[in-house]
Amino acid sequence: MDWQALALSLKLAAWTVALLLPVGIVVARALAWRRFAGRRLAEAALALPLVLPPTVLGYYLLSAFGARAPLGRAFEALAGHPLAFSFAGLLAASLVFNLPFAVQPMQRAFEAIPADVRPAAACCGMSPWRIFTRIELPLAWPGVLSALVLTFAHTLGEFGVVLMVGGNIPGETRTIAIAIYDRVQAFDASAAGLMAAVLLALSLAAIAIAYSTATRAEPYRG
Amino acid sequence: MDDGRLSVQVAQKVLIPLDAAFECGPGELLALTGPSGSGKSTLLRCVAGLERPARGRIACAGRVWLDTRRRVNASPQQRSVGLVFQQYALFPHLTALGNVTAALGHRPRETRNARARELLASVHLAGLEERRPAQLSGGQQQRVAMARALARDPQVLLLDEPFAAVDRVTRQKLHRELAELRRTLAMPIVLVTHDLDEAAMLADRMCILHRGRTLQIGPPHEVMTRPADALVARLVDLRNVFEGVVRGHDAATQRTVLDWHGVTLDAAHAPSFAPGARVAWTIPMSAIVLHRRDRPSRGEHENPVHGTVQECLALGDDTTIGLRVAGARDALLTLRVPTHVARRNGIAVGVPAGASLLAEAIHLMPWRDAVSEGAG
Amino acid sequence: MHAPAAVASTRCGFAGYSAVVIYEGIRRPVRSRRAALAAALAYAALTAAAPVPGADVPNVAAASDLQFALPAIAAAFKRASGRDVRLSFGSSGNFRRQIGQGAPFELFLSADASYVESLARERWSADDGVVYAIGRLALFVPQGSPIEPDPELRGVAAALADGRLRKFAIANPEHAPYGRAARQVLMRAGLWAAIEPRLVLGENISQAAQFAVGGAAQGGIVAYSLARSPALAGRGRYVLLPAADPDPLVQRMVLAKRAGATARAFYEFLQQPAARAILGRHGFQVP
Repeated sequence: MDWQALALSLKLAAWTVALLLPVGIVVARALAWRRFAGRRLAEAALALPLVLPPTVLGYYLLSAFGARAPLGRAFEALAGHPLAFSFAGLLAASLVFNLPFAVQPMQRAFEAIPADVRPAAACCGMSPWRIFTRIELPLAWPGVLSALVLTFAHTLGEFGVVLMVGGNIPGETRTIAIAIYDRVQAFDASAAGLMAAVLLALSLAAIAIAYSTATRAEPYRG
Repeated sequence: MDDGRLSVQVAQKVLIPLDAAFECGPGELLALTGPSGSGKSTLLRCVAGLERPARGRIACAGRVWLDTRRRVNASPQQRSVGLVFQQYALFPHLTALGNVTAALGHRPRETRNARARELLASVHLAGLEERRPAQLSGGQQQRVAMARALARDPQVLLLDEPFAAVDRVTRQKLHRELAELRRTLAMPIVLVTHDLDEAAMLADRMCILHRGRTLQIGPPHEVMTRPADALVARLVDLRNVFEGVVRGHDAATQRTVLDWHGVTLDAAHAPSFAPGARVAWTIPMSAIVLHRRDRPSRGEHENPVHGTVQECLALGDDTTIGLRVAGARDALLTLRVPTHVARRNGIAVGVPAGASLLAEAIHLMPWRDAVSEGAG
Repeated sequence: MHAPAAVASTRCGFAGYSAVVIYEGIRRPVRSRRAALAAALAYAALTAAAPVPGADVPNVAAASDLQFALPAIAAAFKRASGRDVRLSFGSSGNFRRQIGQGAPFELFLSADASYVESLARERWSADDGVVYAIGRLALFVPQGSPIEPDPELRGVAAALADGRLRKFAIANPEHAPYGRAARQVLMRAGLWAAIEPRLVLGENISQAAQFAVGGAAQGGIVAYSLARSPALAGRGRYVLLPAADPDPLVQRMVLAKRAGATARAFYEFLQQPAARAILGRHGFQVP
């Protein structure tokens, strides 16, 4: 049982969720309520990671993060080590391929708020921030939570992109999914089996939470 | 001068066309009436600050909320409006008390709870404070919305078809409650409704809107019996709109003589129309009296007309009769009588009948080609 | 180095952020207490598994055929010097590519000399490194396989001819040295054309061994060091194949220019008799 790999996976998932919470909310609100040119295109682009094979995603991300790309070089200048094959690179890749998992459920949740509720709150004298925290978030919360849990579970299990962008560096980019692969290659079936079971249990728990919070949204609807 | 008055002028050509101007004094209820798509709700939202017209000026209680020429545009939070939305827009996750308290942010924290309970009691919802909107009936939700709008201590109360979504019994109850509530309110109230009877019942003044333009503003009785032109007449559901030519005026009897395609009528005195002028004229159904068929005419009737019954439609207690008038180029006169009267007089399609048009109720309007087209 | 400052400031930033979330959570009843707990857990998870700053534990990239030999050597190194190394196994070609893209390895044990030479040309290393072992090939057949193992691959040829051989595993000749060597062996035996359509290619020599052992293939050409290891003992039979010719599997290792003290010490240790003995025991030819 590679505890370091499990801790690394949890760390990656937790960071991804923490960063995608504000980003996802901002993007989801904009897509739910603003009409702007190219909105449909933006939604389609956002959904790309859902349909692209991880290798395609990994290839493009590696090209963007590599030591020869502008982004990779800028990062290296700031941080002193390359973006690819580092935890930071994994996190950046994770933010990209989890974007639809975070944004779509949140967007649905914000869209489900009845159209006049926000104007009504404005007429009650509530500032935009209060409207967000007292009205929008509580009403959209089941969708937001569901998005975060799905993102968490998806990150735990991601393999292809992590392997391409992160390599397999213990403690830095060897997540639990990679560790399982590694143990299988080392003919260590028992370790691999144990870790696979742990990952399965975590994913199952996450999905159960996501589904139960999604249905809890119903009590408000008359 | 701060007398609590609301004054609105807005105009725009794109999206929803608007060209409206109206005023509403403190304690007065102004009804914005018109067919769907006439921009009533849009106007209300402009007053609330939820929409911004291309050009306009909106001021209330001495404060300018919108002035496009001076780039002044207060947000809804900065204006002090109470708006009751068509579907109430209550916050589904808060209780009735929570909904009302949400609008009490301008009051000190310790007083909010008590004030919210007071407001809910004033709309007859005491005891239901802890219920969520989903657990309240349509009428109760409307009352919560009203209490929430009033909680803001607004300078103008805006009601966007607040009675449209409830059944007739509840609606009548709510009408009474609004009338009661008005006695305690000192602010202007603007009510948007497509129901003319509701407007006539509740409003001090009525404003007729058509495609975003204000056509006429005045007390309901005046608008509905003395419309400004044929279009307004149609909008206030006056069925009898006809063409005529002014023959002359008689100041002594306070009557104007009107020629209706060969039939001579005495109309209410309207000296502003020159003799020989082409006019449109209208008469409300209530001012047309059916002649009793069993008693022959003794020539004392006012403006008698005769013809054949073309339509006879009994709807409950009232029967609507369409009378094809002989001589007036076969114009169709519509009148309404109680069903038992129609039956007693043997009114049926094809039967000859006569009616009197009360002179005082015949109202002359300027002839406007595009607008008066279709007048009989 | 900006890294410690960056790490510290992001930690502070995140601590502040989670403090706000937890505070908001505590202000609201029930449902939010759970949210606060979740936030606390998240914070713990986020700061866990952080690499201890300052400790010199180098990343070592090693060819997959060293899967069993190298951990034993690392253990001996630890006993001797008290220091740790982090091992990653994979195909030499993959490592070569990743290193070229900036992967943070300090020592590279390749199964093919040419990869080391190209890294030296790119100035990743200060020199050409040293040969630490000569790799050898074995033919492995799993339990129940219809193939009879023999060094001339006659059993393979027979099974191929009468259709008993459906799948045969080797490492990918494109980037795995053992795969390339296996291809040469098959070509020399005149079997390449017939067997090519039936090949399953492993990402590296370990995965090729997986396929051979797992029964998905009826046999395979794997690293001798893997075939002899305890993990495969009893799973099948194997036979050592004659040295690959003209390219013997000369396994070269090299230090990165930026390698730290521990990496250098390990590099030296690998050339000592103790380490070489371990390599020999695992089936490598030591120069």
